[in-house]
Formats: sequence, structure tokens, C-alpha cells
Amino acid sequence: MIQFLMKKKQIFLFIISFIFSLNSIFSQTENTESDSLKKKDKLLNINKLRFGIDLSNPIISSSNDDNLSYEIVGDLQITDDLYLAGEYGSIDRYIEDENINFNSVGNYLKIGFDYNMFNNWVGMDNSIYVGLRYASSSFSNKVDSYTVRSGDAYFSNLVDNGYENITHNNLNGNWIEIVTGVKVETFKNIYLGISLRLNKLLSDTKPSNFDNLFIPGFNKVTDDNTWGSGFNYTLTYSIPFKKRK
Amino acid sequence: MIKRYHNILFLFVIIILGCEKDDICIEGSENTSRITIGFIDYNSKGPKSISLESIRGIGLDSVIEGIDGNDLKLPLIASSNKTEYILEYNKVLDTVTIHHQTIHKYLNRSCGYISNFIVKSDTEISKYHGWIKEVSIENDSIFNEEKTNILIHY
Repeated sequence: MIQFLMKKKQIFLFIISFIFSLNSIFSQTENTESDSLKKKDKLLNINKLRFGIDLSNPIISSSNDDNLSYEIVGDLQITDDLYLAGEYGSIDRYIEDENINFNSVGNYLKIGFDYNMFNNWVGMDNSIYVGLRYASSSFSNKVDSYTVRSGDAYFSNLVDNGYENITHNNLNGNWIEIVTGVKVETFKNIYLGISLRLNKLLSDTKPSNFDNLFIPGFNKVTDDNTWGSGFNYTLTYSIPFKKRK
Repeated sequence: MIKRYHNILFLFVIIILGCEKDDICIEGSENTSRITIGFIDYNSKGPKSISLESIRGIGLDSVIEGIDGNDLKLPLIASSNKTEYILEYNKVLDTVTIHHQTIHKYLNRSCGYISNFIVKSDTEISKYHGWIKEVSIENDSIFNEEKTNILIHY
């Protein structure tokens, strides 16, 4: 019991020190921006709708000779710092895993919000944000070939036809994503962005005699682990609702 | 200004990469079993030790070295329903054809699939010169290597 409390205390101290260290980083930037214009404090500030595409998926799919994969991204500013954000993607990827080669095809939708932590100078519109998404994917995984685990390699253990080389259809996965990223306005109303995602799988339909080793949108699923990761590299265009000063 | 935030992003990347654990198939996980062949005397039906000069799977060039003893463990073909072996005894070749149902079972990402087999009753011998008199099935399911699956009478 005491050990448990000690552990809790240590975790608590770690979180506190982590927050303080973050705080010191942010306060440094705030000092340099003290002369920037204060924004009007309004509850709702629907300023712009941004939409665009992810650049990494088409590149990955073409370099792997897969069918085209894409992701459409969008966000809508609702207050000064808060954005409704979402992604829709379609993935078709051939995955060569350690023992099993399979093809994963599916669509996903991610919906949530981004919170901008970056204070812009006048006229600038960059953002450094954290966000949260709820995501859902429906997909199928087709087992192409696999190597049967065996202590004996006298015969080939490769199976590429007939046995479990089947398509597992109607699979679903749901997860949440913790997002962090930057968006930089490179030309007027054109933004380049990169985001990193930490995914926590909530539920998935298990195929019979196979497992979801890859979920489109979630990416790689590891053994006995519900965490995953992802990223995107986006090019977005913003439709301004109001003229910027 | 943005450079300062790079540190945070960098930290995040490290955390994400650190989270992904290596998938290693643990030693002692289920594995594909070989068939266990026992040898018995055709007349007395009692176990009889054998000394085979060579064993070769049909379709392969490489030869498994001969054995001395009461039983023999041989791999079955995981991508087929039939495995054939040529067994050489006293310079005489005989072919044993094992018909089997092949069932693949998924374990996990790191181990992949293993194969279990069920020996079908029509397992047969083709006699070139005939040192094998008969083949009989003892235990048809091959899920481990503990039991003798088929008996060769000679």
C-alpha cells in the first residue's frame, strides 16, 4: 500500500514538473510577443474554414506500387483558439510483415478539435496545436501469403494459395487520437502542416483465425498493445470569412 | 519562435517511437508439429528398432540423414494435403504417402500461423521393392509430437 502511494506520488511529481517545464517554454515565447495585438475576446469567432490534403499518403502509396491512398483534412475555427477538425481517408496498402504479407483496404473518419497554443503576431496565422479525435475505420484485410512457423525448414513453409489466404471483410475499428502539430502559412491562405498522432484503440472486430495487424487510419497494431501512432503532412487552403487586417 | 516548439514535437516523436514494442515470437510458443512414425515388426506387432539409410521428401533434392531407433519424426508440407517420403532400408526404397488435412492456426503477429495436421485414413505405401508391409494409423491428429501417429509394419 505504501509502495503504491509512493508510486502515485512519484507520478504526480513527474506530471507537475513536466507541466512546469512546459510552462517555462511557453512563457519564454510570450515575453517576445507582449507587444502583439490583443485579440478581441468573443465567445464564437468563426473566422475561417480550412481544407486540404495529406501529402504523405499518395507518396507512400505510389512508392509502394499500391492503389492510391489519400486523406482529406479540414478544420473550422469556432473560437479564437479552438477549431473543429476532421480527417477522412481511404487507404489501400500492401504490408509485408515478418511472417504474413497482406493487403489492407479501408476508409476512416476522424472528428474532434484542435486547440491552438501559439500567439501570432499581427498578420500572421500560424498555429501550434494539440487536439483530440474520435476515429472510426471500416476495412478489410486480405492475407496474401505467409510463412508457417515451424522448427523444421526441410519443406518450404511458405503458403501463398488456398489455406488462410482469404479476405477478412467487414472489419471495424474505433480509437481516439491525441494530436500535436504545427501549421505554417507559407503563402496567403495556403498552409503547410505536420501533425503527430498517438492512437489508443478502443475496440475492433477481430477476424476469425487472424488479427487486425493494420487498421487504415490507425496504422500498425502490435501484439497485446492498444497503442499506435501516425502522422500526416498536409497542404491546406483557407477560405477566409472575414477580411484579415 | 517555432523552433522552440520543435523540442516538444521532437519529444513527442521519441515517446511515440519508444512506445512501439518489438514483436518477438517467444521461445516455447506453439509450433508446427512433425509426424511421429513408429516401426513395428510385421509378424509379432511388437516395436522393432530400425536403421534407415536415407530419407528423402518427394520433390526435394536434399536428403535427410538416416536414423537408428524406434521412431522417426518428419515434417509435413504445410501448403499441401499430401506429403511423400522415400525411405531407404537395406538398400531398398519404399515410398510412404501421407494424406493429411492441413489446418493453419493463427497465433499472433510475431509468431504468425502454425499448422496442425490430421492424418487421413487413406495414407498409403507405394512399393518399389517392398520392405514395408503395411502402414497403420495410431493417432490421426498431429497437434504435438508426444504420440506416435502412424506405424510402419516391416
